[in-house]
Amino acid sequence: MAISSTLATPRRALFVGPTVLRIVAGIVILAAWEIVVRLFAPSYVATPSGVAAAFPSVVVSAPFLVALGQTLGAVAEGLAIAIVCGTVIGLMMGRSALGERLLRHYINACYAMPMLVVLPLFSLWFGYTGAARLATIVFAAIFSIIVSVADGARSVPKDYLEVAHSFRAGRMCMLFEIVLPASMPYFLAGLRLAGGRALIGAVVAEFFTAIGGLGYFILFNSRTFHHDEAFVAVLFLAAFGVAVDVLINWSTRRFLPWYRRDDKAE
Amino acid sequence: MNRRRTALVRQAPFLLSLAAGAVLWEIVGRNTNAAFMAPLSETLVRMVQLTLSGELPREALSSAALFATGLGLAIVVGMPFGLLLARVKWLREALDIYIMVLYATPLVALIPFILSIFGFGFWPKVLVVFLFAVFPILYNTIEGARSIKPELIEVARSYRSREWALWREVMVPYTLPFTMTGIRQAIGRALVGMVAAEFFLSATGLGQLIMTATQNFDTAAVFSAVLLIVAAGMILMRLGVALEARFAKWRG
Repeated sequence: MAISSTLATPRRALFVGPTVLRIVAGIVILAAWEIVVRLFAPSYVATPSGVAAAFPSVVVSAPFLVALGQTLGAVAEGLAIAIVCGTVIGLMMGRSALGERLLRHYINACYAMPMLVVLPLFSLWFGYTGAARLATIVFAAIFSIIVSVADGARSVPKDYLEVAHSFRAGRMCMLFEIVLPASMPYFLAGLRLAGGRALIGAVVAEFFTAIGGLGYFILFNSRTFHHDEAFVAVLFLAAFGVAVDVLINWSTRRFLPWYRRDDKAE
Repeated sequence: MNRRRTALVRQAPFLLSLAAGAVLWEIVGRNTNAAFMAPLSETLVRMVQLTLSGELPREALSSAALFATGLGLAIVVGMPFGLLLARVKWLREALDIYIMVLYATPLVALIPFILSIFGFGFWPKVLVVFLFAVFPILYNTIEGARSIKPELIEVARSYRSREWALWREVMVPYTLPFTMTGIRQAIGRALVGMVAAEFFLSATGLGQLIMTATQNFDTAAVFSAVLLIVAAGMILMRLGVALEARFAKWRG
């Protein structure tokens, strides 16, 4: 029996395609969820059928749309700030040994720190406002960008710089024409992480400070035992998480075809 | 003598930046309202106080127990399940997309559900840490399995390798370096999960210390706990990187 179930035998793989398998698995998972909740859990717990029933009315309801806009707006704003500042700091660290030695330990410490621990401090400094959320998002996102831009800037092949130098390229020209494009793949890998972390930052800031957004929408609805409605927001968050991943993978392949993807991601 | 001097010169910017950071912290702390920002000196004094009173070690141990239980469970579940998925192709193909989706989902969003279904005990918090940590392990193990060259298995098979030998000699050694990458990522995530559980489920451990201190405007205590978490995070991260490097040699 053991040997007959070995992998990589094309016979088995061709028997049913992966798509069919995935759909079947999805149905099994949803059915198991539905059955377990109906048998063992209190009636307010979200079920697939309940979420499906709630979905159409929630996605057009005003509170949900407002919350969606608030969270996404804050994430976009925070990411923009993190990208600009993170790239500048990352280039400084990557292209100058002094900058690297001065900053590296602080950046590593902040990168290793679970970003949640700054929430109480940020709520103290910025109040229970959107500013605290924005600060959390920037804090969550910026360090992965700094680290990957610095890695990228450091890994620019020396030949490129020497050739540019012998053609009398200026410092600025080298930075913008060679270092930046060459570190693009690293930047995108960092951005992929930053996107996910920014989303988490926004949600936890909303949990903590109770300012409007998808996180607060989930908190409020689950506390008032509207789990089905709350879960719709979770689905949206999951979709954004996946969308960031897919978008970055796609743009790496599309715009940087010369780059071979490695496992540098995290 | 000479070598020691060059080492000192090389370390100088680092030591300088450390000193500059400390001075900056002290100056900013002294010129801000004590409720918002405590200077470094005060933080260190408070840290010693909290350690002597036994509060900091007690809360740190409580947090560590949560972290270790959650991460341990994630490894114990994630590794065998990942290897099983690595071996059984149809199961992997059926499930990989769902694992990827869960890996990319901000799982913090599930915390309010966990709270209202499972309540305030220790195990709901372990569940949070577990959920944060398990998907990187699974995801990377599967990535590793996907990259096993079919030739390796074919060669093993053509030498009439038994199923057990195939696991021991090909599957596990080949996938383990990837699993280690997953464990390294899981360490960081479990730490986030630990703090999230302590903030948003029942307040215990260092999370509780931070929350109460914030409410009492005792910023020195907040910074003490944050510093401890940062130090723990950096040590654990180093450990993870070392673990990964140790197994990276196996990568074919």
